[in-house]
Amino acid sequence: MSPTKQNEEDPHVSDSDTDSTYEDSSAADDDDGDSFGSPSESESEPAAGDDSEPDEHGESDSSGLHQEESDSSEDEVAPRNTVGDVPLHWYDDEPHIGYDIKGKKIKKKDKLDKLGSFLANVDDSKNWRKVYDEYNDEEVELTKDEVKLVRRLLKNRAPHADFNPYPDYVDWFKWDGAKHPLSNAPEPKRRFIPSKWEAKKVVQYVRAIRKGLITFDKPKEEDGPYLLWEDDSGLTEKSNHLAYIPAPKQKLPGNEESYNPPLEYIPTQEEINSYQLMYEEDRPKFIPKRFTSMRSIPAYENAMKDCFERCLDLYLCPRVRKKRLNIDPESLKPKLPSRKELKPYPTSCYIEYKGHEDAVTSISVEPSGQWIASGSSDGTVRIWEVETGRCLRRWDVGEAVNCVAWNPQPDVHILAVSLGQDVLILNTHLGDDEEQKKIKELLSVDTSTPSDDSGNSATSVRWLQDDKHGGIKLKFFKTVTAVEWHRKGDYFSTVMPAGESRAVLIHHLSKKLTQKLPFKLHGLAVRSTFHPSRSIFFICTKQSVRVYDLLKRKFIKKLDTGLREASSIAVHPGGDNLIVGSKEGKLCWFDMDLSSKPYKTLKCHPKDINNVVYHRSYPLFASCSDDCNAYVFHGMVYSDLNQNPLIVPLEILRGHTSSDGRGILDCKFHPRQPWLFTAGADKLIKLYCH
Amino acid sequence: MVKAVKHYRPPGKKKEGNAAKFVTRSQALKQLQINLPLFRKLCILKGVTPREPKKKFKGTHQTYYHVKDVAFLHHEPLLEIHREIRVHERKIKKAEAKKNLERAKRLREKTPKPKIDRIIRQRYPRFVDALGELDDCLSMVHLFAALPAAESKKIDIECVHKCRRLAHEWQAFISRTHKLRKAFVSVKGIYYQAEVEGQKITWLTPHSLQQVVSDDVDVITMLNFLQLYEPLLGFVNFRLYHSINLKYPPILDPRLEALAADLYALSRYANANVNAVPSVVNSEASQVAESEQGDAKPKRDDIEHEKSELRLAQLQHQLPTNEPGALMQLVEEAASEEEVDQDTRECKNLFKDLKFFLSREVPRESLLFVIPAFGGIVSWEGEGAPFQESDQSITHQIVDRDSQGHKFLSREYVQPQWVFDSVNARIILPTVDYMVGR
Repeated sequence: MSPTKQNEEDPHVSDSDTDSTYEDSSAADDDDGDSFGSPSESESEPAAGDDSEPDEHGESDSSGLHQEESDSSEDEVAPRNTVGDVPLHWYDDEPHIGYDIKGKKIKKKDKLDKLGSFLANVDDSKNWRKVYDEYNDEEVELTKDEVKLVRRLLKNRAPHADFNPYPDYVDWFKWDGAKHPLSNAPEPKRRFIPSKWEAKKVVQYVRAIRKGLITFDKPKEEDGPYLLWEDDSGLTEKSNHLAYIPAPKQKLPGNEESYNPPLEYIPTQEEINSYQLMYEEDRPKFIPKRFTSMRSIPAYENAMKDCFERCLDLYLCPRVRKKRLNIDPESLKPKLPSRKELKPYPTSCYIEYKGHEDAVTSISVEPSGQWIASGSSDGTVRIWEVETGRCLRRWDVGEAVNCVAWNPQPDVHILAVSLGQDVLILNTHLGDDEEQKKIKELLSVDTSTPSDDSGNSATSVRWLQDDKHGGIKLKFFKTVTAVEWHRKGDYFSTVMPAGESRAVLIHHLSKKLTQKLPFKLHGLAVRSTFHPSRSIFFICTKQSVRVYDLLKRKFIKKLDTGLREASSIAVHPGGDNLIVGSKEGKLCWFDMDLSSKPYKTLKCHPKDINNVVYHRSYPLFASCSDDCNAYVFHGMVYSDLNQNPLIVPLEILRGHTSSDGRGILDCKFHPRQPWLFTAGADKLIKLYCH
Repeated sequence: MVKAVKHYRPPGKKKEGNAAKFVTRSQALKQLQINLPLFRKLCILKGVTPREPKKKFKGTHQTYYHVKDVAFLHHEPLLEIHREIRVHERKIKKAEAKKNLERAKRLREKTPKPKIDRIIRQRYPRFVDALGELDDCLSMVHLFAALPAAESKKIDIECVHKCRRLAHEWQAFISRTHKLRKAFVSVKGIYYQAEVEGQKITWLTPHSLQQVVSDDVDVITMLNFLQLYEPLLGFVNFRLYHSINLKYPPILDPRLEALAADLYALSRYANANVNAVPSVVNSEASQVAESEQGDAKPKRDDIEHEKSELRLAQLQHQLPTNEPGALMQLVEEAASEEEVDQDTRECKNLFKDLKFFLSREVPRESLLFVIPAFGGIVSWEGEGAPFQESDQSITHQIVDRDSQGHKFLSREYVQPQWVFDSVNARIILPTVDYMVGR
């Protein structure tokens, strides 16, 4: 530190020297108080050092003499160097900076080296106020007032703060007392006559207006509304340039837009979070919110946006008239004729045939319609008179009866009954003597004949004379579930589901012969039936119906039922349509000319369908099921091949009660009347008439 | 055999198919010699929409317009007017740049204005057509009526005021003629459905709260639409007011207007004027009415002595409608009964003998519209209301707060939803489910 100190001290010494030299001059030149102030400063300076100096200035500021002092300081400085207004670089190479008032050279001060001056500057907090005066080769420290003055100058203001650039105007001239005008000249004549040039200009304008050269702005017309559509009665259609398509109306708001929607409309937090994961386009536009009262509904934040989007739709979306078939769903329903037009059909129960002691499994109506045979699981077969309900005959066959079937020939009054592994051909003893004679001949079995049959069938079926009931007994090797007569009454078929290749057998009554079908059976045979007019044979297996030509010994076609387990089959008297009932309660109508797939599948029963049946003459068919209901349908088949069969559900026949989960086990139509017989598991047979 | 290039068209042969029928948007712009914003504006005003050609010959990302649509725009006088406007704007700009403010002002006043009435007539040749497509117009006008005027968003206050006036005029007409059918309060606002001349018109009114103009909305497009919708609704209103023998721009009581009870002022105007019309025609009836008015006037004067004169004048306007025995009204009703249909009559008589009072917190504007539309009389808490809360004849007070301090026994206190539900069900529902605080 010591060298720098020394360096610092040196200028002070020189300062004091110069000051002292100046003192005299200032004292000689200038006024009183200030000159006193400055020598005191200069005197104190070397003593107090750098720091005390500004303080001294501050004191002098506060003393209130600053104005004069600053003036005097300017005066002090001015006469030191007397070179005048010459370029200072002339003295650059000289050891002096100029001459003082007495003509002596003023020596240049020793310059601090850069480091020293820097350190001095850093130490000195007043450094920013110091200005190097090149002319006098000294550092001048600006006082506060000087700094203020500089600032004011920088801002383009008057240098002194108390200078008012806009003083109030003082009108020194007294006007009120003046008697005479300022000028005494008389008023000129031109003040009293109209201006010629103005008149000329007016004439010019008038002419221009008359000629239409000058036009005026028309008064602004208000274009308010007026009666625009005064006479639009004449217009009937829009007369637009191209086919105009009005914009579709906006969707009306639903419950979810209500301010208080039902709770199920409000998405949970998880759902709202899941919206974030969706694509922006998939996100729902509107999330329902719930507000308990009307006053708490806030302004809808997207109101503007919604409106804007609608605007965009209106003018940016191409409008295309969609060729949408505007179909009334009602009109899609088939035009069904009313049920009244389809009368007669069985509607209500007229007669109940009571007497069986167990479920009636099967019934069969005599071709003339006078008698009805029934077989029951109590081991009896009965014959009833239809109109009276009288039980005419009764056979105790001793085993549960599976199926009974009248011979379709009206003069052959015999009955086929299947029970267990046997089939009985019973003589009903109806008809006159001649017919009886014929029947007896028919039902007599030569004991010698059974052996000469073809080898394989002989083992499966044996024709025996049944003396107990006066008929024929066919012994099978498995349970026979169904017996069906050919229309001529000479043949009948039996179905043994467990019989494998011999499941379906055809028996020739007059010859007492049994034949195996020459076809391979696919699936488990359930029922079989003959074509009502041609030599065609239908075998219903669980999943399909197979159609065979018996004469040509050929497989004709297979009908896919699409059912899981078919239970019954019936052929329309016309022969081209058939219905199949299934255990799952479905009813399939096949039009064999149409396709091998069902034409209609009706799902009407909740439980197994036990039997389906066509009426022989009326366009009726019926189904009966374990749900204790029998359905009667209108099933019209047209001779025109282009017209599809018409199926109309007509009536649900109720009345049977369920026992052991079984309902109606069998149903048959009366051959001539639109009457339906039903046999129930509740031991009853019912007759429904129209 | 050189196979011809598929798209080669020999010179002089015309274009065929889609290429001849449609032009892309940029082609249309070039053809019309206008810029895109103006083209959009013209499309909005003229109702020209893009088309979907079966084969997009310039690519699927293009917008196609029908050649005839573009030709339709080409012949449009609006196009010429907009060109003039552009020239004019240039002049104004120049004048302003030269500090010739007077000329700029004069030019600004002389700016040609596009005439919309012709376009409206062209787009909607029949009044019914206009009514059929009024949905969007009404929703938009109602929305703008609720918007804050913002210089930065280019929504000027005049436009907002105009929209508000038009919306109120429309509501006043609907309310006056009892054509409102349904109302639904949703989060988005209140949906109304009215049936005018067999057209079902549905519109959305935002809740009477401060709406926000978001930045992702192009206000200019909406203003273009508004440029069409504003005059359209004006013309429709004119026609509708004309049909019930009212002068169209209705002159309103400035005091009520200042209280922002425009709708009430309008309905009163309608009432007063409709009643005045038959009185001119039927001198006898008018005499009777006048005598009754004369009788009633001093009576009323005594009762409400402290009321201002203006208030009295209002009452005089109302008197004929309030006096049940006035012959004039009977005549008027008999005359009007024939023309109104069953539905309107039903709506008119729904709240017939009921008197409503709205509390402070209830959405006033919508209820002031709905209740009179169904034949009720309504008042509210505040200045200019036709009757005070203490009126004993009030049957229902509509309250939307948790608890009601002082209760009059003579009236029922219900939530506003009751009104809307009753209106939609067309029966006066039991008030049990709509009690205060539920």
